Amino acid sequence: MSGSKSSARGDRPDLLTAAIFVGVGALGLWAGRTLDFGSLASMGAGFVPTIICWLLIVVGLWVGFLGLRRAYAPIEPAKLRPILVITASIIGFAFVAAWLGFVAASLFLIVTSSIADHEVRMFETLLLAVGLSIFGALVFVVGLGVQIKLLPF
Amino acid sequence: MEFLDLLALGFGAALTPENLAFCLLGALLGTLIGVLPGIGPTTTIAVLLPVTFFLPPLAGIIMLAGIYYGAQYGGSTTAILVNLPGEASTVVTAIDGYKMAQKGRAGAALAVAALGSFFAGTVATFGLAIAGPTLSGFALSFGPAEYVSLMIFGLLAATILARGPVLKAIGMILIGLLLGTVGTDLSTGASRMTFGAIELFDGIDFIVIAIGLFGFSEIIENLEKTGASGVKVAKITRLWPTREDFKRAWPAVLRGTGVGTFLGILPGGGATLASFSAYSLEKRVSKRPAEFGEGAVEGVAGPEAANNAGAQSSFIPLLTLGIPSNNMMAMMLSAFVIHGLTPGPQILQSQPQIFWGLVASMWIGNAMLLVINLPLIGLWVRLLTIPYRLLYPAILLFCCVGVYSLNNRIFDVALAAGFGLVGYLFRKAKCEPGPLLLGFVLGPLLETNLRRTLLISQGDASVFVERPISLTLLVATALLLLMMIVPNFRKNREEAFKGEEA
Repeated sequence: MSGSKSSARGDRPDLLTAAIFVGVGALGLWAGRTLDFGSLASMGAGFVPTIICWLLIVVGLWVGFLGLRRAYAPIEPAKLRPILVITASIIGFAFVAAWLGFVAASLFLIVTSSIADHEVRMFETLLLAVGLSIFGALVFVVGLGVQIKLLPF
Repeated sequence: MEFLDLLALGFGAALTPENLAFCLLGALLGTLIGVLPGIGPTTTIAVLLPVTFFLPPLAGIIMLAGIYYGAQYGGSTTAILVNLPGEASTVVTAIDGYKMAQKGRAGAALAVAALGSFFAGTVATFGLAIAGPTLSGFALSFGPAEYVSLMIFGLLAATILARGPVLKAIGMILIGLLLGTVGTDLSTGASRMTFGAIELFDGIDFIVIAIGLFGFSEIIENLEKTGASGVKVAKITRLWPTREDFKRAWPAVLRGTGVGTFLGILPGGGATLASFSAYSLEKRVSKRPAEFGEGAVEGVAGPEAANNAGAQSSFIPLLTLGIPSNNMMAMMLSAFVIHGLTPGPQILQSQPQIFWGLVASMWIGNAMLLVINLPLIGLWVRLLTIPYRLLYPAILLFCCVGVYSLNNRIFDVALAAGFGLVGYLFRKAKCEPGPLLLGFVLGPLLETNLRRTLLISQGDASVFVERPISLTLLVATALLLLMMIVPNFRKNREEAFKGEEA
């Protein structure tokens, strides 16, 4: 994604932006390819999305063009660990909540998400997990009446 | 004396024990997250939005509003004491506020900030009370064509006044508009952009996007940057400002209030823009410009008054026209929509207690904040020492519960996690996600009104320039576009936002 470092030109965040805009625009055009465009007087379902997508592609190309002419600027390096751990623990939470209820899901979320931090402190994490799960159960499920079962049975 | 009757109605609604409690809770939460770096009002409101569904409408909205203006108070505390602005809108406060603290005048700076904010909040509340009925009467004469022009003007102006490059902001709005079209098209019944997923037929929920883009991706980004190191807290001394401080601060507070109230109304305006503009104004009109950056009391008073006034007056377009002017107000709009309420001219007439109750609660909330902040400053400062590793699991839990409770669907949580990754990508690309929310909220409104206008005019687009209000708005939009091309204006705009990245 970052390209060769020796090239002196090109604002990498801007080029990434251009790629996102053009990509989303193209995806939108493809997803809406079967939608009826209609006319000004009676717009079809595809009228507005198609216009938005084309505008997005134009803006994306424009950002990319300007970005190429700017001085070199790098994208801040990404760290995989927080991305993977946090995403996995969020999705895991949903599955555990659906099968085993809120308490298990909350414990799971807090214990797994703590791996995202470098220094793992077992005792502190467990204490936090138990405390937050009790707090969450009382506030959300009992207090506010959020419709999640508390326990698996 | 109809005005006083309505205000009395508002105070009656806001002073019930329940609403008072939620106002206090909002103000407390706002101060808390304002003090804590790494979590801002946007994330907090996104997290609490689903919760408001379980509250009565007015109580929920009062609480969310309290978080927004409460964060302005809390942010200034850390800006002054530890040179760590909790919010973007308090970045300029740190410049002179922290210098004052280093000179042993932290107490005076904090008191000036709190008193200035309270004064500005009071004025802006009255501004809202006066402007509300007037503007909404005007808005009743709006047809679909006027709404289309107003929204186009608002969206474009928002990109220019908001921070960050304009082109990227326009692109983000377009992505937001596109996301707004996902789901079943209301007029034709066709399903759009759903990729065949039944879960998407009703469209994407605002909360899923907001929590993904702000909550999740913010946590990932913060973890990447590894926690903040220990902070040095300045000693708090004599709290009451000197007579000299008062003499120098009050004109600055007045000017800041004026600037903030005005800029808050504009699309894209709000607390951040207001505080930056107020600081440069103070520097320009001061007889002692050299003192700025060295602990000038005006440099604290002006921006602090302005950000609070701006936070409150940005409610004006939302409550009177039903058009949110920044991402914070887009959140507030969806807080109304959760309860089946559409803010705008109609609600002022059909349910006046909502509008006036909110207005009254803002004043009450500001008074509460004064009490919360000044005597309890020591407590808030101690909170700064909470490490992020204890904070983020809690934020993550609230986010997850909020999204899951929407429909009890795994799909929503997974989608929000996906938006978290997208939001992370946006951050790497240096794109502000705020305009996307604005586009997402306004998209369906824009499309419906556009269709309606052209259906009535039988496809004749000249209707937009034939109606005077619509024409005025379009001319203003064209002028804005023109201004962006003029290099001089661009330079000034860039300067106005300089240092904001800090």
